[in-house]
Amino acid sequence: MWKRPWTYLEGAVIGAGLVATGEILQLSVGEVAWNLFAYPLNVLLAAVFVSAIILAFVVRKRVYFFRWCATVQAAIPIMVWCAVLTLVMGLSGWMSMLRWWPLVLCYTFMMFVLGMTCLKRLRPFSFAFMLNHGGLFVALLAGTLGNADVQKLRMEVRVGRPEWRAIDESDNSIKELELAVELHSFTIDEYPAKLMLVDNETGKAVPAGKPEQIVIEGSVTGGMLMDWEIEADSCMEMAAQVTDGENKVKYVEWKNMGATTAAHVTAKQRETGEMKEGWVSCGSFMFPYHALKLDERYSLVMPEREPKRFASDVTVYTKAGTVKDAVIEVNKPLEIDGWKIYQLSYDETMGRWSDTSVFELVRDPWLGWVYAGIFMMLGGAICMFVSAGRKGSEQKETLKTSESC
Amino acid sequence: MLNWSHFIYFAVVAVICWTAGAYLSFRERKTGAVYAWTILGLAVFFSFIVGLWISFERPPLRTMGETRLWYSFFLPFAGLITFVRWKYKWILCFSTLMSTVFICVNLFKPEIHSKTLMPALQSPWFAPHVIVYMFCYAMLGAAFVMAVYLLCCRKDKDVTREMLLTDNLVSVGLAFMTFGMLLGALWAKEAWGHYWAWDPKETWAAITWLCYLIYIHLRLKQDADRRVILYVLVIAFCCLQMCWWGINYLPSAQGVSVHTYNME
Ligand code: HEM
Repeated sequence: MWKRPWTYLEGAVIGAGLVATGEILQLSVGEVAWNLFAYPLNVLLAAVFVSAIILAFVVRKRVYFFRWCATVQAAIPIMVWCAVLTLVMGLSGWMSMLRWWPLVLCYTFMMFVLGMTCLKRLRPFSFAFMLNHGGLFVALLAGTLGNADVQKLRMEVRVGRPEWRAIDESDNSIKELELAVELHSFTIDEYPAKLMLVDNETGKAVPAGKPEQIVIEGSVTGGMLMDWEIEADSCMEMAAQVTDGENKVKYVEWKNMGATTAAHVTAKQRETGEMKEGWVSCGSFMFPYHALKLDERYSLVMPEREPKRFASDVTVYTKAGTVKDAVIEVNKPLEIDGWKIYQLSYDETMGRWSDTSVFELVRDPWLGWVYAGIFMMLGGAICMFVSAGRKGSEQKETLKTSESC
Repeated sequence: MLNWSHFIYFAVVAVICWTAGAYLSFRERKTGAVYAWTILGLAVFFSFIVGLWISFERPPLRTMGETRLWYSFFLPFAGLITFVRWKYKWILCFSTLMSTVFICVNLFKPEIHSKTLMPALQSPWFAPHVIVYMFCYAMLGAAFVMAVYLLCCRKDKDVTREMLLTDNLVSVGLAFMTFGMLLGALWAKEAWGHYWAWDPKETWAAITWLCYLIYIHLRLKQDADRRVILYVLVIAFCCLQMCWWGINYLPSAQGVSVHTYNME
């Protein structure tokens, strides 16, 4: 060992040394406190790291270790170490491993090797190589060091009450922002109502594991559920529960806050010919849900309607004077002043009548760098697709590669 | 107005075109015809998607069935691109078969047309992300078969040519995997606000990715033992299985993954 040229073995031992050093650090200073790396410390650290790589590269002729760092013999063992430590995390599900010094040191050394390799491969320059390796370097560096600058806030806004305060998710403190959000309206579009049977004893939908259901939509108003032929003769999207003269529950059209969906159904047991009729409703925050008992075994129910689209109609104001009207939906965040505002949730106890919208506000000043890295790697992947397996092995010169299989 | 009841006509024509393309790809000097048939099939199928888009007045991305529609379209599309570049004879058979499976699901299980996706999945990133991963699985599966074959059946003979083919499959597969992973990251940023959260699926994706990187880098040098290299491929494929469906059964991953809906 340690006879030049160094091989995978030396690389593996260096990795083991990093793990041991990391464990000592873990025991002495405690876990890696990522949140300490907030701006400007992370910028400084990135500068120091990159300068160190450049410096190491400059003196590589005199220091064998640095020369060795830019070889495959250095790259593979540290990649194996990183894979193994990540595997431990994958198997144990122990997320705070991301703050475990051995893991952090191994990834840092992998980045060092990666950086050295990039510099070495400036000549002869290869576009594909630089996109793959440089992209990974940039994305990893910006992703890890930038993490402490990521702000994630939760903001609850009620209709008509502009809000400029939000809760920081990392420590549950309240922050005042440079922007305010005014909610004009919050709407939930729901999928059409469904009908299904539940077992009276277990309360579970039947058949167990693969529940059948009827979707009441447009011209489709009936179908078979187990042995029951179901037909909904009227379905109201907006209804209120009322009690008639004989103390029987029924539903009437009612277009107001708190309305529920209700259907009047007739059910016929195919074998016995038994008939049942009555109302079913999924309920709302004002009205209880309403099931129709068919026989000893089954009841007909209308499960809560699933949301199809949540949308918040908002105006956002910033201190700088920008005013922006927008509709924020899931997958359609609003971007303003470096913030991205995501639709997160709403007042679930009110369901579709919620007048509160919950947003997540995310700010990630390093995102541009991460994206630059990601897009470089996407380019690199295309290059790799085009030239797959053509380079590398020296033996390939002797054989034609693109023979079909 | 176009609706799902017209699907069968478009689907049958498209599958016939793709099958013709896949068949011709086994014949020498018929490359032009292969392209023509496959593109014709794609055009027919895409016209159905456009028709549905127009009659729904929204992109068809909202239900399970609509997502399957994009799978059926993009599979032969990715197959064609791979064929143009690498002329693997089996690739168009694979993509046609997979695409037909999804078409059949749409034809024979019409209830999925109303089975809705949670809002976060109603995203244009979803289908490409899944398709690219399917291709990655196909390539790396083929590489795994090669590795097992070389390990078990070809102990001492000269296998340089087979190793080069394996390299090629792994590189193409890894390119797809990198693409799928990064598309996933971009999508996660749009939908959940963060591009990489180290949830179980993402952690296993990282492990798998590293394993294949190790294979590629090992192959750059002549000094590594061939059997070790092939075992790396076997391990990598096991990790891929773990990432794909294994984590659904992993106790440490229960209830924390945002990705377990993949079970559906
Ligand atoms: C952990 C990160 C990585 C490290 C430490 C690393 C390290 C290295 C090293 C040392 C070489 C040999 C360069 C030479 O001898 O000139 C190399 C070559 C190569 N690496 Fe990586 N690499 C990493 C990630 C990647 C990634 C992400 C890809 C592609 C997806 C990749 C693909 C390649 C290719 C194709 C070559 C051959 C380049 C050529 O000879 O032109 N590597 N890598």
